[in-house]
Amino acid sequence: MDWILAIPALPTLSFALLLVMSRQVRMRMLWLPVASIFGSLILSIVAFAQVWPGGSEEAIWHAGWEFAELAGKPVDLSVALDPVAAVMLLVVTIVGAAVQVYSLGYMHREEREGWYFAVLSLFTAAMLMLVLSDSLLLTFMMWEMMGLCSYLLIGFWFENEGPRKASQKAFLTTRVGDLGFLIALFAIWGVVGSFSYEEVLHTVGDWPAAVAAVAGFGLLWAAMGKSAQVPLQVWLPDAMAGPTPASALIHAATMVAAGVYVVARMLPVLMVTPWIMQTTLVVGLTTALLGGLLAAVQHDVKKVLAYSTISQLGLMFVALGAANAEVALFHLTTHAFFKSLLFLGAGVIIHAAHTQDMRFMGGLRRHMPITTVTFTIGSLALAAVFPLSGFFSKDEIVATLLHEHHYVSAGVVLLASLVTAFYVARMLFRVFTGPEQTKHLSEGHMSMLAPMSVLAFITLVLGFASPTFANFLGGHGVWPDPFVAAISMTSAGAGLALGWWFYGRRSAVVNTAIWKRRLGYAYDALAQKLYFDAVYDHVFIRPFMLGATLLAVFDMRRLDGFVNLVAATWVRICTISWRVDVTAIDGVVNGVASAAKGTGSWMRGLQNGVIQRYQRLVLGAVIVLVLVVFMVKGV
Amino acid sequence: MRVGLEAFLLLSAVLFSIGVYGAVSKRSAVQVIMSLELISIAVMVNMVAFARFVTPDRGTGWAFTLFAMVVSAAEVGVGLALVLAIYRRRHTAELPELDELKG
Amino acid sequence: MPNTVDGIAFAILAISMVGGALGMVSSRNIVHAALWLLEVSVAAAGLYYLLDADFIALVQLLVYAGAVVVLTVFTVMITLRRREDAVRPVDFSWPALLLALALGGILLAAAANFPKKTISMPDAMPSIVRFGELLFTARGYALAFEIASVLLTVALLAAVWWSREVED
Repeated sequence: MDWILAIPALPTLSFALLLVMSRQVRMRMLWLPVASIFGSLILSIVAFAQVWPGGSEEAIWHAGWEFAELAGKPVDLSVALDPVAAVMLLVVTIVGAAVQVYSLGYMHREEREGWYFAVLSLFTAAMLMLVLSDSLLLTFMMWEMMGLCSYLLIGFWFENEGPRKASQKAFLTTRVGDLGFLIALFAIWGVVGSFSYEEVLHTVGDWPAAVAAVAGFGLLWAAMGKSAQVPLQVWLPDAMAGPTPASALIHAATMVAAGVYVVARMLPVLMVTPWIMQTTLVVGLTTALLGGLLAAVQHDVKKVLAYSTISQLGLMFVALGAANAEVALFHLTTHAFFKSLLFLGAGVIIHAAHTQDMRFMGGLRRHMPITTVTFTIGSLALAAVFPLSGFFSKDEIVATLLHEHHYVSAGVVLLASLVTAFYVARMLFRVFTGPEQTKHLSEGHMSMLAPMSVLAFITLVLGFASPTFANFLGGHGVWPDPFVAAISMTSAGAGLALGWWFYGRRSAVVNTAIWKRRLGYAYDALAQKLYFDAVYDHVFIRPFMLGATLLAVFDMRRLDGFVNLVAATWVRICTISWRVDVTAIDGVVNGVASAAKGTGSWMRGLQNGVIQRYQRLVLGAVIVLVLVVFMVKGV
Repeated sequence: MRVGLEAFLLLSAVLFSIGVYGAVSKRSAVQVIMSLELISIAVMVNMVAFARFVTPDRGTGWAFTLFAMVVSAAEVGVGLALVLAIYRRRHTAELPELDELKG
Repeated sequence: MPNTVDGIAFAILAISMVGGALGMVSSRNIVHAALWLLEVSVAAAGLYYLLDADFIALVQLLVYAGAVVVLTVFTVMITLRRREDAVRPVDFSWPALLLALALGGILLAAAANFPKKTISMPDAMPSIVRFGELLFTARGYALAFEIASVLLTVALLAAVWWSREVED
């Protein structure tokens, strides 16, 4: 079964090969990363078939290497294949392959296209390894590797100010979260002495309560950073400065889902401490609602999708907070497909309309039929409309909450899904209907539409696998309860209707200014991203800058004074030494120099080009050598 | 009067020295090559004498003399051709004037 | 008889060789020098005959007297524009003499110290037949002989290449 290692190894290999190539060669070798991801995809399907029909959490394959030794205990990096990993492998490779094929068209003739594909391959490899990982340390390594790739791809157009700042912001914000991961690692090593998932999860009941709380909260905090949960959500909307397909893969389908994935794996650790579970639930609910509200006021189509991603990830956290990992993972899976579909569609739309601002779009439906259909499928799945996949996964979340008697939470989720349906309708109507505002609209290239169609097909049918999915992961799969389904459909329908009333009515000139005025402060707050960035600016960044300035002043006044004193003393010493220099040392130096000059001009005579002079030298040397030998040997 | 190996060695030493003197002192490239031939004759005299006095039954010395002749004949041929080529280009075969190696 | 080298014959040949060599390096006329070289070569052939190396003596005559000297004279003729150019200024050089004397001293010292004081020649002598076998069989020097022939061919080609007419 060791061939499973080839799944992450293939993209790694293609990254390594691309890395050593020159830019021109890379441009001609783009088939390499695409071929490697398809190789991984095929192997993932085989791996999935091996695990099928699943039903237990036991791993069917294990491998490990000793990475280091810490205080006499081996630190293992190990991998394992269990049903969860198999599903995630499929998700990552399918979305990855779709994104890479799409990128062939989207990034065409981009100057650093080869580098883009190389980083994409590295990212895919890291995510696949994270999914297979059976050791928290390996997970953390891959976690950081993905952070690096995310940084590189957000800052892909580093010539511009925006992407550069966004990449730094993303990296630093997720770093704040990673601190939690590190603390959790320390705590777990302290009590367990191993990073293996199995050992950690088996011994978790025996841990001291404080350690369990620290580890649990550390992991939750790390996941909140990676999955852009309130209050660490600020980096994800800015991350949209990167190439759109990269956003589809990293900031919609896979990397941001890694937080949810790790928490789902480590859920028993969090469950030891009740307040951490409550925190998870509250964070998820807040994020789901706020993300949706923020998405509703964005004009940039990619930002709408970014906030919607935040909101959907919040829903997954809600499921985790309700202690139902299978539901969270199912929503993760469906979301990965329809959100990457939406991002890819957004890429096509942006290419066609030459803008990201929805206010300057409109009427795309008539010119881009395939994009319209696939994008609408993705959007309706996001709005949780029956029978698309998003409906099933969101319905399960609501059902779980009702089952656990979290009625308030269920209400918030329904409200969030109403808001979601509203901004989905707003986006659809603004982009695809209404008067055309751009000339020369044309459909995207085949290499971009084909992956979108595949993802749209998966979005259409995946929902019906809902009970099978839960059974496969070892849970109890059930079909949606008609009562719950009716409630959630009502909220989605209400949201869509509201959106239609604002943006879709034929009579309505899209003018929401009057509503914005009526809502006053509420709208302003949303437009200002609920002041998160402003608060961080005032609370963290400005004091930091102020501190830096104060240190600089101290530096100049105090430290520099000392340095200047030292310098002045040094100058005095140097003046004395200069006198010594001129009289004594220069004499010697000049003497050496003229001696060298004399030797040089004498030596120059040897190089006069007359062959017989050389011959004489050689002969003389031979004679001297022979005489030396005679003397040594005594003739 | 009978002479032995030493007489041949002495003769070849004298010839060799004379050849070296010519090779080092002569300005004409042709004369230098002739002096080199003198040196190789001295060597061959040595070899034939050794072959006769030390290893008379094997003929190894003869064979080496033959090869030495081949080499020196080749050397003369190429050397003189080079002199000719230099003469054609520079219109001189005087070694002190051929100082392009001057550094 | 031929167990020793006749002293008189050796003396005549040795004196003519040393004299010819001295004549060669001291002669002002370059054509004369070439003729002195011819004389030394022939004397050397005589010396080989004295040492029972008939075949080598023959080859010496053919190669040196027949080929090398003729080639030398030929080159001298080509590189002389006027007949008077054959007469060259005396180019005596003290450093060269010193070097030659030093080298000669060393060689003489080495020869005089040769450990084996051999006067008489051993009887055993390879016949020309055995020498032929030595030279042309695979157990002998056949390979070296072939390499020598390749060397001669290359030298021939090089000589032809370098001595061709060039226009510049």
